Amino acid sequence: MPLFLLVLLVAVTSALHADQDLVRAADESNVNQRYVIESISIPGIERDHLPPDLLQRVDSLVGLPCDMAMLNALSLEIRRQLHFRTVTEHLAKGSEPGRVRVSFEVSHRDRAFEVSLPRFLYHSDQGFTGEVEANAHEGANTYTFGLVSNGDDLTERFSGITAHLESDPSLTRPIRFELGFEDYHEQWSQMTRDAAVGSGLDIYRSRWDIAPELTFNIAPALAVSFGTSFTETQSENALIGSRWTDAATFDVNYGHKIEGGPMEQRIDGKYSLRVATRFLGSTYAYARHMISMRYEARTGRHLLANQFIAGSIAGEAPFFDRFVLGSSSTLRGWDRYDIDPLGGSRVVHNEMTYGYRTSLGTAEGFYDIGMLWQSNRAATLRHSLGVGFRKGVFMLSLACPLHDGRIEPVFMAGMNY
Amino acid sequence: MLGILGAAAASGISITRAFAVSLNPSDLAVHFDGDYLRISLPRYSFLGGKELERLKDGASVAFLAQLTVTATPNSLMPIARSVARFALSYDIWEERFQVTKIGASPESRRTVSHLTEQAAQNWCIDNLTLDKSQLPSDRPFYLQFDLRAEDPRDQLGIIGEPGINLTRLIEIFSRPVRSAQFHSLMTAGPFRLDDLRKLEPKGPRG
Repeated sequence: MPLFLLVLLVAVTSALHADQDLVRAADESNVNQRYVIESISIPGIERDHLPPDLLQRVDSLVGLPCDMAMLNALSLEIRRQLHFRTVTEHLAKGSEPGRVRVSFEVSHRDRAFEVSLPRFLYHSDQGFTGEVEANAHEGANTYTFGLVSNGDDLTERFSGITAHLESDPSLTRPIRFELGFEDYHEQWSQMTRDAAVGSGLDIYRSRWDIAPELTFNIAPALAVSFGTSFTETQSENALIGSRWTDAATFDVNYGHKIEGGPMEQRIDGKYSLRVATRFLGSTYAYARHMISMRYEARTGRHLLANQFIAGSIAGEAPFFDRFVLGSSSTLRGWDRYDIDPLGGSRVVHNEMTYGYRTSLGTAEGFYDIGMLWQSNRAATLRHSLGVGFRKGVFMLSLACPLHDGRIEPVFMAGMNY
Repeated sequence: MLGILGAAAASGISITRAFAVSLNPSDLAVHFDGDYLRISLPRYSFLGGKELERLKDGASVAFLAQLTVTATPNSLMPIARSVARFALSYDIWEERFQVTKIGASPESRRTVSHLTEQAAQNWCIDNLTLDKSQLPSDRPFYLQFDLRAEDPRDQLGIIGEPGINLTRLIEIFSRPVRSAQFHSLMTAGPFRLDDLRKLEPKGPRG
């Protein structure tokens, strides 16, 4: 039944995607593309009230040919970031022949509540992972309530509810406040249960977390976040009872897009630190460092992407903060429980992808290489190869772990994965 | 002579209008151009309302046109079908229309520009063709002409980086064709291949 629903959803959304391709093709053939954009305005909105990245995008189009596909993408971005119901672009004659003025007419939402399916995944070994979210907007604040069942990110499958408050999500101000709440029930594989005996790691049946965070947008490409995270786990062992993981968090996010010329490039980087300390009342004491870097280049029909992650934990962290390889994005095709049923305290992973864009979508080939280990044990280097196909936010892929000459492919289908 | 639909009007014609357009069945003519069957609707206008407004604002408007051959007037099983996609835009400075017939690949696109409103519409209909070999030679058939505007605002925003917006998806699937969205459907016939008026071949087009 879930597989049938997945196929139905993909069919319906693929049909809508086909229509979007038609709309995109229509934009690309617009006769006004030969004119130069003289100015861009959004009536009713002051320039100063636009988010910095949006303002940068608006300004970057002035003086360029009137690319309707680009203007359409910008109108969607204005709608997304400023939470309008519709944003429609209008062209008018400029001050001299060959120049046009662009104005974006906006209409406000007639409802402040939306339900969405942000992502889902079917993995032939792990089953389904998915989220459903309800968003409500009030003033500059966004409230999100979600239902989650995730068998992809951690050693255990966790299912439950989430709530999230984000102040001024449009990034119009340099400081943003977020408050997250999660309440999950956990399901464990027998391999993890067996391996956990005598390891000192606690198998918990439930987990809830509350995490306030402040983000400072230092520059259009750079944001720094400070926060805390208070997590309580309820052990399956009645003698242990509940344990707290109270941590201070620090994140640095960098994202830069290089446009112009024949090649479009994007560089993203993230460093995150979680320090759980008894000073905050935590049962656990550890420091978890993680760094990730992604480089992507597109030229013509070709795409090349490389993502590197590395992480280290000093001290003893609970399961939910330990590293895992063998997911939908790391060492694809490998069974995470074959790699390490307890997860690891050290990780290094690299993913390289080559894509070729066709009229139907993007065909991809990927190569994953990574190591997961404990600080006091030897590490094993593992590899996997695979092929995939992407259409918009949807993907299908077949991944094969490279080990001992055996070929055991794993199939994955998902959205926003 | 069934080439002029007026003669066939009494035999059975149905027209659906989801948006007010001046569509008169007697305006439809069917003829052969070499090996291609073409229709023409010289006094038919499908540009109006929001679509024309959007064009005059400089936006692109896409139309999906379909010509279907069926054995009976309301048959759901087509004998043959021809589908064409057209992208229209309006030159802000020259105040003339441009039409692009969108093919499977960018190389197969055909574009004409500097057209009046009526000429742009005629070009779309003239470029909707059916191969003669697809038509039944031993029995009568009906032709169904279907034209609708694609509304990008309906689709864009459902799927994107934030995922699938279920609220908008339900909203769109739970309502009929929007009153402001153009859609016209015409069924005409019966026709016989031998009765259709043959014109002098003008060379393969469409």
